[in-house]
Amino acid sequence: MADIESVATLLARSDPRISDQLELLADMGQDFAAAMDIEATLARALERITQYMSAAGGALFMLDPSGETLTCQACVGATDITGLTLKKDQGIVGRCVQNNVGEIVRDVSKDPNWANQVDKQTGFTTKSILCAPLSVRDKRIGAIEMVNKLSVDGLFTDADLHMLQALTSSAALAILNARMATALVEQERVRRELELAAEIQRSLLPETPAVGFPVYGVNVPARTVSGDFYDFFSLPDGRIFFNLADVSGKGMNAALLMAKTASLFHCLGKTLHQPGRLLAQINAEICETVTRGMFVTMLAGIYDVKAGVVRLANAGHEPPLLHRPDGTFEAFPAESPPLGIMPMPIDDESFPEIEVRLDGGTLYVFTDGLTA
Amino acid sequence: MQHEVTERSGAFVVALHGDVDLDTSPSARKILLECVGKRRPVLADLSGVTYIDSSGVASLVESLQSARKGGSTFALAAVSEAAMRVLQLARLDKVFTIYGSVDDGLARDG
Repeated sequence: MADIESVATLLARSDPRISDQLELLADMGQDFAAAMDIEATLARALERITQYMSAAGGALFMLDPSGETLTCQACVGATDITGLTLKKDQGIVGRCVQNNVGEIVRDVSKDPNWANQVDKQTGFTTKSILCAPLSVRDKRIGAIEMVNKLSVDGLFTDADLHMLQALTSSAALAILNARMATALVEQERVRRELELAAEIQRSLLPETPAVGFPVYGVNVPARTVSGDFYDFFSLPDGRIFFNLADVSGKGMNAALLMAKTASLFHCLGKTLHQPGRLLAQINAEICETVTRGMFVTMLAGIYDVKAGVVRLANAGHEPPLLHRPDGTFEAFPAESPPLGIMPMPIDDESFPEIEVRLDGGTLYVFTDGLTA
Repeated sequence: MQHEVTERSGAFVVALHGDVDLDTSPSARKILLECVGKRRPVLADLSGVTYIDSSGVASLVESLQSARKGGSTFALAAVSEAAMRVLQLARLDKVFTIYGSVDDGLARDG
């Protein structure tokens, strides 16, 4: 009796315009194409398919993301099995998904795959099943199952199977499109966040100085955000404080440590005019919070433009190169390890400093393959 | 990158081979930290390292920090020329205990 009542309910809601297969296909195709809410659209489609097929019930099963289980996402008819979960190859629906082939089972009691625990729980008697996979080529998504044809002989026909397969094909495409659209929206969100992070990073770099300023810097990040940075600013007495640094690794974690280190330099450098002591202070700060063995190589220096002298402190950074007017180069290798690896002994509060006389030459400081 | 772990004289010897870079350092990090986590001396044999970048160095630094925190030791041994160049350039030779050979490291550290 349950079967007949449910069909009566369905027929009462029937849409008289759906008079033939083509109309149903076209109508559902349009519905899927315009779907904003794929789950609601699928539930509506399942209702119309069940009605069109004159089936006592219908169910839509979806594979979970791991592909291990099938869960009933929508259900029409006498028995509500929404939320029922089966193993990926359990029952007739599982076989249909695994083989990626639709099928008609005219007498389920004779099918070795038939999982009859649902009937036992609900009191419903399943006689025949029509099942078609939801898939796009080899990409399995789930299946739609029709239960008990409401005809005199109670059997689904080959024509029913062909029709169901045509409908599940367009439903599968719609599901895949909806998933891709969701992934694209997420990608776009991540891209916008990265752009924002890059903008903040750029704001940490000094503005391009006026023509003729004795210090010049350039930074071209390999990715949207980076772990390289430099800074320079004039002190009240006319000397120029500068630094160049490189954070280990790449990506967002390097960018965040870069932001912290750059801020520490800019802030502490305004009052502490000794490169070696400044590095020691930044080192102490970073050591307190750094994780995953990350570190920062940094070169800090003060350029006395009038005297033509640079005082440098180098924590594990590439040696700066002095290019002399006679064409020769001199390198100044680091004397201390990078920042963030080990706190300084208490009685030694400064990283070693060296003095470089420019004598008309140019000092090049740069990052390279060490932390590239 | 490939790795192999052997137990010798109560210590773990972790031999790393090939490039230890942004792609491979997560697996180097995992194996080194696993060994360090067992609270026994760990010796990283770097004789087969053909290239190491800053993310690879960070894995070594983290292993050293983790060993110190856990009260055990982490040292490097038989460091290849390519890896040594990087360590010396960044003055990390001041940070790590470096032995000329695995046997030497085991005799003094293991």
